[in-house]
Amino acid sequence: MSALLELEDVHCGYGQTSVLHGVTLSVPEGGIVSLLGANGAGKTTTLRAITGGVRWLGEIRFAGRSLRRMPTEDIVSLGISHVPEGRGILTELTVDENLKLGAHKRKDGAAVHKDYDRVFEYFPVLRERRRLSASTLSGGEQQMLAVARAMLMKPRLMLLDEPSLGLAPLVVRSIFEIIRTINQTDHVAVLLVEQNARLAFELSSDAYVLEVGRVAVSGKSADLQGQESVRRSYLGY
Amino acid sequence: MQEFIQQVVSGLASGGIFASLALALVLIYNAMGLVNFAQGEMAMFATFIAYTLISHGLNYFIAFPLTLGLAFVGGVLIERVVIRPVERAPVLTLVIVTLGLATLVNGAAGFFFGYTPNYFSSPFSTHTVNILGAFASYQDLSVIAVSAVVLLAIFLLLQRTTIGLTLRAAAHHPEASRLLGIRVSWMLALGWGLASAVGAVSGIMVAPILLLEPNMMQTIIIYAFAAAVLGGIDSPLGAVVGGLIVGVTVNLVGAYVVGGDLELAVALAIIVGVLVLKPNGLFGRAAVRNV
Repeated sequence: MSALLELEDVHCGYGQTSVLHGVTLSVPEGGIVSLLGANGAGKTTTLRAITGGVRWLGEIRFAGRSLRRMPTEDIVSLGISHVPEGRGILTELTVDENLKLGAHKRKDGAAVHKDYDRVFEYFPVLRERRRLSASTLSGGEQQMLAVARAMLMKPRLMLLDEPSLGLAPLVVRSIFEIIRTINQTDHVAVLLVEQNARLAFELSSDAYVLEVGRVAVSGKSADLQGQESVRRSYLGY
Repeated sequence: MQEFIQQVVSGLASGGIFASLALALVLIYNAMGLVNFAQGEMAMFATFIAYTLISHGLNYFIAFPLTLGLAFVGGVLIERVVIRPVERAPVLTLVIVTLGLATLVNGAAGFFFGYTPNYFSSPFSTHTVNILGAFASYQDLSVIAVSAVVLLAIFLLLQRTTIGLTLRAAAHHPEASRLLGIRVSWMLALGWGLASAVGAVSGIMVAPILLLEPNMMQTIIIYAFAAAVLGGIDSPLGAVVGGLIVGVTVNLVGAYVVGGDLELAVALAIIVGVLVLKPNGLFGRAAVRNV
């Protein structure tokens, strides 16, 4: 499988504080890769670098094309949907309007319609709450809305920033199941940032563990999960 | 009673004018958290353009939409040229920039069109029509109708179209909107264009009542501030309701209580009163600030 997303020796930071000190990783076409590590290791910053939210040095390529100096809006249009930290729900708008914004750039009307049906099949609660303000949704429902909206963007790659944060275990499980389904049916690649390493290992084929802005360990998820030293030193379980 | 109704109708007509300008203020406030002090001057300049077109023989009903189009383009250009470089600057910087812009536009109008007041004739007569025993002028009625159409058009644009949806999204959540592929910076320009066009409506409507000269809008903008503050500075609906309330209140208080000379003081009293008693206005959201 060829790499869909490649990061090569990416450095970046906020003002004087440098956060990433040379991150190299790749996500294969249609694969699920998880990015793990403690708080402050640079996971969120890595995702933000990919979609142009922070300036970076090094090289980031998507489908063979460099993303250097590209504005966020253009990167997204190439087929990357980024569910950011805090989910990026537009709370002033209704559930329906949030979903509409996911699909607002697509020209394939009939396919959009089908995708709406699928979204509501995966997340029936969103259909019930269509007309309500997104601010009335619970945390789990907001996460579902964020994933649904990302799916309506019809991306080739989804960047998910801690979809499990603050949610009940059952809700997390169902959201992860749906991420897997989306990955398999639509062949969408996923780069998943997670604190919950156990869940991430289950879902992903490959994993990278970040430590203070560098990749400390990487490999097949199954292998890493089996190594007690990795779990103890980096993942704390 | 009859006179009272007439005062209300003519208050509603001024209210429609205030509402248009207040809506322009709200559009920009929503897009960037900034009160555009140049809004009135921009409207005045647009009115001069309409006046020039009409005095060159163009029909009023062609000159009117044409001016709105030109005002839209002008608003977009102002945002791209003047505001964009300071887009991320602190709000005080932006306020100073719009104050400078107000002076600049005012001076430019004086330079190009002169300071002599011009009579701007309205196609609607000042003859009155009898409605249920009260008399209303065609001019007042037309102002009410035009304002209603414009405000309805903006409402439909914002609430029922995709472009309106992206405008609202960009205004409230610029970061999240970028991740959805919305060109936030262009949305700001679009907001300025719309505001400029809506503001121009108020200028063209008020010009036949006052006389057209570069300082024409300087009292109107105070009423528009009162309307926007009363309605809640971030609420388009509030701007409209606020505009109508201010128009009617000022007219009635002016006619029955304080006399015409103190009407502006009534508007200022409304601004101060609302800010002291109910800072979010009638429809505004409570300001939440993360510290």
